[in-house]
Amino acid sequence: MQRRADRLALRNLMLFSVALVCFTLAVYHPWALAGPQDNSLVVGTSQEPRVIGGDFLSVISNQAIKAEIELYLFPNVININLDSKNYAVLATEAPTLENKRVRFTDLGQGKRRLEVDITLRNDLKWSDGKPLTTDDVQFYYDVGKAKGMPLLNPDYWSRVTLKVKDKANYTVIYEPAFYTDLQGGTRPSVALGYAPAHIMKDAWEKTKTAVATLDPTKDAEKLNELYRNFFQQFSTPEAVNKGAMVYAGPFAVRRWVPGNSIELTRNKYFSLTPSGGAEKYVQKVVYRFIQNTNSLLVSILGGQIDVTSSVALTFDQARSPQLTSRAPGRFDIWFVPSATWEHIDVNKFSAVQKVKELQLDNPKTRQALLFAMNREGLTKAFFDGLQPVSHIWIAPVNPLFNPDVKKYPYNIEQAKKLLAELGWKPGPDGILQRTVEGKTVKFEIEFVTTAGNAVRERAQQFLADNLKQVGVLVKINNAPSSVVFADDYIQRAVESKWTGMFMFAWVSSLSELGNLFACKDLNTGATFMPTKENNYQGQNVGGWCNNKYDEIRAQAVTEFDDKKRKALFDQMQQTWSEDLPALPLYFRSNPFVVAKGLVNYVTAAYAGGNGYPSWESWNIGWEQKGAKKIYDQAKYALSLKK
Amino acid sequence: MLAYTMRRLLQMIPLLFAASLVIYALLALQPGDPLDELRQNNPNLTSEQLSQLIHAYGLDQPIYIRYFKWLGRALQGDFGQSRTYAQPAAKYVFTERLPKTLALSGIALLLALIVAIPIGVLSAVRQYSLTDYSITFFSFVGFSTPVFFLGILLLFLFAIVLPETLHIPALPTGGVPNVLWADVKDGSVDFFSYIGQWAYYLVLPVMTLALIQMATWTRFMRASLLEVLTQDFIRTARSKGLAERRILYKHALRNSLIPIVTLVGLAIPNVLGGAIITETVFSYPGMGTGIFDSLTQKDYNVAMVSLAFLAVLTAFSTLFADLMYAIVDPRIRYD
Repeated sequence: MQRRADRLALRNLMLFSVALVCFTLAVYHPWALAGPQDNSLVVGTSQEPRVIGGDFLSVISNQAIKAEIELYLFPNVININLDSKNYAVLATEAPTLENKRVRFTDLGQGKRRLEVDITLRNDLKWSDGKPLTTDDVQFYYDVGKAKGMPLLNPDYWSRVTLKVKDKANYTVIYEPAFYTDLQGGTRPSVALGYAPAHIMKDAWEKTKTAVATLDPTKDAEKLNELYRNFFQQFSTPEAVNKGAMVYAGPFAVRRWVPGNSIELTRNKYFSLTPSGGAEKYVQKVVYRFIQNTNSLLVSILGGQIDVTSSVALTFDQARSPQLTSRAPGRFDIWFVPSATWEHIDVNKFSAVQKVKELQLDNPKTRQALLFAMNREGLTKAFFDGLQPVSHIWIAPVNPLFNPDVKKYPYNIEQAKKLLAELGWKPGPDGILQRTVEGKTVKFEIEFVTTAGNAVRERAQQFLADNLKQVGVLVKINNAPSSVVFADDYIQRAVESKWTGMFMFAWVSSLSELGNLFACKDLNTGATFMPTKENNYQGQNVGGWCNNKYDEIRAQAVTEFDDKKRKALFDQMQQTWSEDLPALPLYFRSNPFVVAKGLVNYVTAAYAGGNGYPSWESWNIGWEQKGAKKIYDQAKYALSLKK
Repeated sequence: MLAYTMRRLLQMIPLLFAASLVIYALLALQPGDPLDELRQNNPNLTSEQLSQLIHAYGLDQPIYIRYFKWLGRALQGDFGQSRTYAQPAAKYVFTERLPKTLALSGIALLLALIVAIPIGVLSAVRQYSLTDYSITFFSFVGFSTPVFFLGILLLFLFAIVLPETLHIPALPTGGVPNVLWADVKDGSVDFFSYIGQWAYYLVLPVMTLALIQMATWTRFMRASLLEVLTQDFIRTARSKGLAERRILYKHALRNSLIPIVTLVGLAIPNVLGGAIITETVFSYPGMGTGIFDSLTQKDYNVAMVSLAFLAVLTAFSTLFADLMYAIVDPRIRYD
């Protein structure tokens, strides 16, 4: 009896649990799902912004997701389209030499001064109906110029000045100016930026009074705290939910539930109307935060998400059979080549013993290494060819890209021949060796990359195997990114901290100045090669010094004529590819899952400045609801079908 | 007992001081600093501009100065600002992360206890029966299943497979519900619907966390009860002719709970420290992921306040477990 009673109790307990789960499911299931039914859009992302809106100088946070969402709220004054070209959004026209809105003067010693005239449209309004004028640009400028402001781009702010003419017209002056100052995109850009003076000015005046007696050299920490407090008043979830901030874009924040979502609703005061009327386009955008990308994938499969953001699935997840098998008829999966350039830098500091022994400072050695690497095979085997092989550090969508550089296709014989010319002969174990100062040296090269990054570690194994075929032995020496990217590692090739190859990525900027491989700036005298003399600063971490490159670069960065500049960059890329200071691998692709029927949710590496699909958010809509398709993602992306 | 408690509390002061020093040193000595990301992304940053930023974040001071500055402020209740979350670190940890972790891990712990104790008892009482073998089998499956695997499995099952095949509503894949406490306060959402939404989001993570703990505690409960059941006083009770139910619940169970009290006491810091893997799988913004993110993002103030809090908790929960022995077992006296 006792036994039976226990068993019954156990069974009842189990039944009760199941019933409880079913009841919860039935009662609280959020039936209002995403999609065209209610003309809304649910965007899945793995990152949640820490702040949004009020932190307009990105002093608190410069996360990608923040910038992506803010494009719905604060459109660029001058935007960048899918072909990386400027066009006007909040201004009447984009500044060019032809329309006389761009003027430059020569200051001598290669320095130039640039003046850009901007006219704001006369129908701009904030989401509270108040007009958006040059007062808002002036406010943005004043805050950016405040003493001791911990800016992300102090270089930009040290060169820029603003002159306001009237409520619509202003001039932005850059001195010394670079050609890249003419680029549009996210704030601050060619047209500077804007922030709602009528909302934030009172708080700013109080902050100004509080910092008045502080000295940036002594009280930097205190200043930092006071400035952050100012931005927080308009950017935290509580502030945003209280309605402390206003917006100027096609959308405004309605609600932010931390850990769950941010909901944006259409702003009726936004003056750019998409074709056929704004009501035919998406009325509500919900950014749904699912930090774990596997769970995010599950949400997509379960139909709870319409599209993915630029910070969402990994490359491998987007190709997973679970997703691709459910895609037909439901969504497209696009792989948009980004500007993130995977490459291998090589230590070229001749003073390093290992560099001398392996002749890594000799271009022929580097060429031989690249000839030995089967990069086409690598991208085919690991990425289905969806991450294109690169031959140069500039992204193909950058107008400066030169497709005719010297290329090094996979060719073992050529690699062997070059190595033989350098005196290397196969030893008894098949590994190349040569005699240096009476001592036998084996071609054993150190290969560093970020431990824990499975894609890189896989690629590293593949390339190590390639090199072995020509008799080069690879010694893998990986460490976590916090170790290898720390200043006392990556910046110290000159001190033999890493002695051979280092695989990592740079984001190749549209505002390309060629700094990555410059040795010395012949205009300013600054050096880019980290050595003790410059306190280990600069991004030319492998230590490549090429006078010809530096000379052309010095001209190119201050050349304002598009054609001449392009010609100079062509020469720079030519010189680079011949000398091969680094071994180019491939450009990473960003995967995007987009529900069928959704139009104009497209992107390219530099669209809007950063390649976020929200660069022209007012045109995003469902075909079922009458939205017109303007852009074709197929032109700018690869997909598994091809 | 009071004197004992006081002595233990006083002993905690040097212990916590040492713990905070070690935590601070470990955080400060890890490679890289909060400016790494900036350095990587901005090729135009000059060394002067960088040193200005380093100064602004106070990173140019030696570790011990930074530690004592932190300690001085912490003793006055100011744990500094979170660099990444734009609010006071303590507020962030105690109002945003801790309550969520309490909800998730607390419910899981309670559920695990409520289920594990009776099942463990059942398993012991019916030793070597089919019920015992089945419970043993499932317990072994339970504690040998990695939590991340169980989490993903449940997700896949309840969010995709079952809804696709049986057309039942899918369970959420993670995160927290789309309701704010402010909504309840202003009346736009009623209280029960708020609780219901939370329950709906917590079903899978609580199940994941509880199932594994349940499995372990069931085994402990079974072993402990079996040991007690063989002791002399049980035989005496039986020979007195007491009912089996009375022997079991009155005499055996209380004694067999002593090791369980220790386990539960030691599990408390884990509960409040967050279940990092479960939280990661379900994108749940609790303490575990909070600590992990603050470490990777080098948000030292958040990491410091969370880890120091855990150190305090561990010290207190050990004391609590020790005091509970005296209550459960009358033979133990501290005075």
